[in-house]
Amino acid sequence: MKNFKRVLASILSAGMMLGLLAGCAAAPAASTPAPAAEAPAAEEAAPAEDGVQEITWMFWDDLEATSDLISLGYKDVVDRFNKDYEGKYHVTPITTNLEEYYSKLNALVAANQTPDVFIVSPGPNLDVYVNPGVAAVLDDYLADGWKDTFTSDAVFSGGTYDGKIYAIPLNIAAACVFYNTEMFEKAGAEVPTNWTEMLDACEKLQAAGYTPITISAGTAWCLSMVAGYLCDRNGLDLDKIASHETDWFDDKVVNAANQIVELSKYFQKTAAGDDNDIATAAFYNEEAAILIQGSWAIGQINGANPEFEDKCGVFQFPAIEGGNDPNRLIAKSDSLAMSSATKYPEASIAFMKYFTDDIAQRYTAEKGGKIPVTKVEYDAAVAPKELAYVMDIFENASGTFGFYNESLADTEAGSTFDNAFVEIFLGTPIEEALQEIQDYYEANVW
Amino acid sequence: MDKLLRNKKAIVLFVAPAFILFTLVLFIPILQSVYYSFCDYDALTPPKWVGLDNYVKLLTKDKTMKIALKNSVFFMIFSCISQLIMGLVLAGFLTNIRKGRNLFKNIYYLPCVLSSAALGLLWMFVFTPKLGINAMLTSFGVFSDPTEGPLWLMDIKGYIILPMWVIAFVALWQYVGQSMMLYMAQISGISNDLYEASYIDGCGKGKSFIYITLPLIRPMVATAMSLNAIGSLKFFDLIYNMTEGGPNHRTEVLATHLYEQGFKYFKYGYASAIGVVLLVLCLLMTFLINKFVKMDNYEM
Repeated sequence: MKNFKRVLASILSAGMMLGLLAGCAAAPAASTPAPAAEAPAAEEAAPAEDGVQEITWMFWDDLEATSDLISLGYKDVVDRFNKDYEGKYHVTPITTNLEEYYSKLNALVAANQTPDVFIVSPGPNLDVYVNPGVAAVLDDYLADGWKDTFTSDAVFSGGTYDGKIYAIPLNIAAACVFYNTEMFEKAGAEVPTNWTEMLDACEKLQAAGYTPITISAGTAWCLSMVAGYLCDRNGLDLDKIASHETDWFDDKVVNAANQIVELSKYFQKTAAGDDNDIATAAFYNEEAAILIQGSWAIGQINGANPEFEDKCGVFQFPAIEGGNDPNRLIAKSDSLAMSSATKYPEASIAFMKYFTDDIAQRYTAEKGGKIPVTKVEYDAAVAPKELAYVMDIFENASGTFGFYNESLADTEAGSTFDNAFVEIFLGTPIEEALQEIQDYYEANVW
Repeated sequence: MDKLLRNKKAIVLFVAPAFILFTLVLFIPILQSVYYSFCDYDALTPPKWVGLDNYVKLLTKDKTMKIALKNSVFFMIFSCISQLIMGLVLAGFLTNIRKGRNLFKNIYYLPCVLSSAALGLLWMFVFTPKLGINAMLTSFGVFSDPTEGPLWLMDIKGYIILPMWVIAFVALWQYVGQSMMLYMAQISGISNDLYEASYIDGCGKGKSFIYITLPLIRPMVATAMSLNAIGSLKFFDLIYNMTEGGPNHRTEVLATHLYEQGFKYFKYGYASAIGVVLLVLCLLMTFLINKFVKMDNYEM
């Protein structure tokens, strides 16, 4: 009996050890992707046993729960692709919310589990994947005539590095000022064209009992977008910051900071903690009169409250008297990148092409309210009214520039800029807040 | 049993699985993290040795680290004290009632077994002005507008800001059941003879709690405090789900700062340095608690 127990104990112990070792053996060895220039062309792997090539796509909204019309359009793309390629290719979306998107994507990249296709904003966020070779070069795939379907080569500029294209744009949006025409009318406020008129309109709205502006400082880039506009309108040249010809205590930045403080008197009381969705909801639920946001908000506004479309007007960010060109616009595009380690590049490219085909691009304009990137013709009469206003602003624009937090030296510099302006809004002295980004540049950039 | 313990092969055989498991999933990753903390490492390119740079930056220049350290220490002190007091009160109360003991025990312990992420979101909604407490009080006429009430997760006034107090109380609600269970287990092991002897000598229930129960559960106090201290130092989920470290990093703690540096900015070397600081703090707290909470073992 004793021997039996001993044998049993030995077998159990050995079983535990084998289980442990087997578990460890299953883990893939971490490997470092080759640098971009040396990245070998991914070889097509053998499909799964059922013959279907399974790919993943990572996106920053929940496709099942969202009411955002652009996200719903992407869901249609996924469904169409899976239906058309049934038995050959299949895509599974990996979704998360926008705030956590890059953290989760980075965790997957670090774990050597990069999604085959992922959405990304051009700028420092894309640099992170291009420089170490995580994102694949796409020129060869574009050469089959796909590139000719786009409106111009300029739409690829944000995703081009050393002449090679790493990201496919899906649409273009411009940052504008959305306003509630009914509230403006009742308050006797006029659409402002300059800063003085903007403050005057806010004053009238407040006097009429409305919350003039809804904004999110909880999602820092929303407030930072306004700060970026103010810096640009005051005449700040980011190239001069980058080359250290000027610094973050430049008068133009300080003016922008003072203007944020001035404007913050008209924000909703909960701006410090409200996230982007809550702040946007306050606008389309008619709790506030003004929302300064990208035109991607059109899909969100009309998706959540279609009746609001008739009351929603759009104007361009006002000029600063004595400042820079007031017709410059912040523009941004959603882009797709492909993993350089994907086993199924053909399936991934086929999937990416579905985002830029005529059906998807027509939907982008007619339902989503964003500007298409291809030469597709869409029916302006059925497109959201807000898109027509945005197109007017776009046509009169003298130039575009990126979000400041996506136009600085790196992602952390962008976050430091965001945080500095949120600090100013929260009441930290301007010099103290700007010192943060000055210190970052002195330590890491200059 | 003695024969088995003399058999060195058997000892090795029984110890080996646990030893290998701990080595692979604990010791090696800790050593790796310590190494990475001295490197500039983004997980995509090989680590580059930078010596103490990460620690110098972390401890002298990183303002968010100072906030995170302050909040973590506050959280630890609050948790240790509040859970000690509340856990003891509940344990004392439940061991002295005859009816409904199991019911209340389960009620108090229930939040411990629920998902922190789900609870975090739930409490976040409760403290959102337009949805939760403030909206309810507005409907009762206490406020004319929900934003007139306290901005529970947004107010930034004071050295320890209101959102940190709110999160600390939510954590107390969630984890007090765990302390209570530990104390109850220890109290139930105390012989009734001791209490009966104290009653014969004229003690009431209060005095017997102070002079018999408290001294005899002291080893468990040290254990519970150590667990609370370590748990609250590496606290993450409620903060992440209720405020995400905001407004503007004001509710950041060490674990959320580590997460942000590692996964948002790909600074795994720097994040490892935060992890090492966290580890040192946990070890230090365990040492201090064991040193200063006297643990005489009495026959019970």
